[in-house]
Amino acid sequence: MYTPAQWPDDTGAAAPKRAAGNGAPSQPVDLGAAGTRQVVRDHWLRRLRLQRRLHDGASLQISALVPRLGVVRKRLSDDEEGVRLSIDDLQDQLHTVLQELREVSREIYPPLLDQAGLGPALCEFADRVAVPVYVVAPAERFGPEVEGAVYFAVTQCLSLLEAGGSPVEVVLRHDGEGLVVSLDGVPGRHAVQVLSQVQGLGGQVSVAEAPGSGRITVRIPCE
Amino acid sequence: MRVALAEDGALFREGLLMLLEAAGHEVVGSTADGDALVELLDTERADVAILDIRMPPGPDGGLVTAERLRALHADMGLLFLSHYAESHYLMRILQIGTESIGYRLKEKVGSVDVLSDTLARIEAGEIVIEPVLAKRLVEHPRGEKKGAVESLSPRELDVLRLMAEGRSNNGIAAQLFVTPKAVEKHIASIFGKLQLPEDATEHHRRVLAVLTYLRAQRDED
Repeated sequence: MYTPAQWPDDTGAAAPKRAAGNGAPSQPVDLGAAGTRQVVRDHWLRRLRLQRRLHDGASLQISALVPRLGVVRKRLSDDEEGVRLSIDDLQDQLHTVLQELREVSREIYPPLLDQAGLGPALCEFADRVAVPVYVVAPAERFGPEVEGAVYFAVTQCLSLLEAGGSPVEVVLRHDGEGLVVSLDGVPGRHAVQVLSQVQGLGGQVSVAEAPGSGRITVRIPCE
Repeated sequence: MRVALAEDGALFREGLLMLLEAAGHEVVGSTADGDALVELLDTERADVAILDIRMPPGPDGGLVTAERLRALHADMGLLFLSHYAESHYLMRILQIGTESIGYRLKEKVGSVDVLSDTLARIEAGEIVIEPVLAKRLVEHPRGEKKGAVESLSPRELDVLRLMAEGRSNNGIAAQLFVTPKAVEKHIASIFGKLQLPEDATEHHRRVLAVLTYLRAQRDED
């Protein structure tokens, strides 16, 4: 870990030299591959914690209000139809709020990815996109940072595809040195979205372009 | 009805207990985890057990517990109440059983009427699936049977979606504003297009029709 005093001077060339006191030349500091990976890992762990907190806190508290309102509704006398309708409306609104929180959770770190891994989470996402997507994935788990990065790399890419397009095949496999993800039927121009998610983990992206189709392959080192 | 409940969130558990009692059901016991529920049902009899999916033991302890309960008490209905309606969990639930079983969102069984209706349908042997999930599955068929599913007319898809929600012919007829006779005709056509065995019972073929959508996905796991 670096203390603030060790951070590289990022104030630019015009800034006064701080090292003037002892005369030593200023050296740029590099996190290195392992350090960068740790930063990325911390980022995904933070997202995972936020998602879990949203579920265990606000979401559960709001869900618990719904049956309580149902109890109040049951206690009303026959001539209080207006109040009954108001309670139905309130319950519907709580459902809408919970759906919104579920959407936010999915965007932070999908609960199913946390609970069940890449295969189930990508299959579930495939149910929600306009293009047919076939997913082949091992049951193996790869840790929150690799799973998070791959999930968002793949889903952001799939979201860019136009409705009614040809089917896409997403195949994940562990080849001993790392996780290899191939996206068959995805144009190579979407590789930038993929790279932006995985490069912090040392991921490499390659493209094979064919007329009317394409393939993006991602390789992320992991144990 | 005699009901047992396992849910690790104390607030929701208390709320649901109050609602079950307000609905006139007898709650034979409530626990904060699956193992305690299995132990409770060793001595108490229940018509339906209500389980949270995400609770101890383990990340999806509700499913593990339900498998044990199905093996120990084959006649007892199982209702999963979850914060998420995901097809991944539905597949696993249907592997536990395709009769007297249900999967609904926690906040969608918040009235005496809906809760009692859900429990009664499960006790009567039906599958009850959260409508939003049934709809998503029917609209996104995948895998080997995809071609067969795509050959269904829009009306037949409506009927199949309502079947996937566990509705009876009369229930489907009421929803679609058609006669039960018309529904029967649609269902016969669906069975034909999906090439379901003719010697199976009506209920069995209904379940098969619903599972046709789901099987491909399960095969991919």
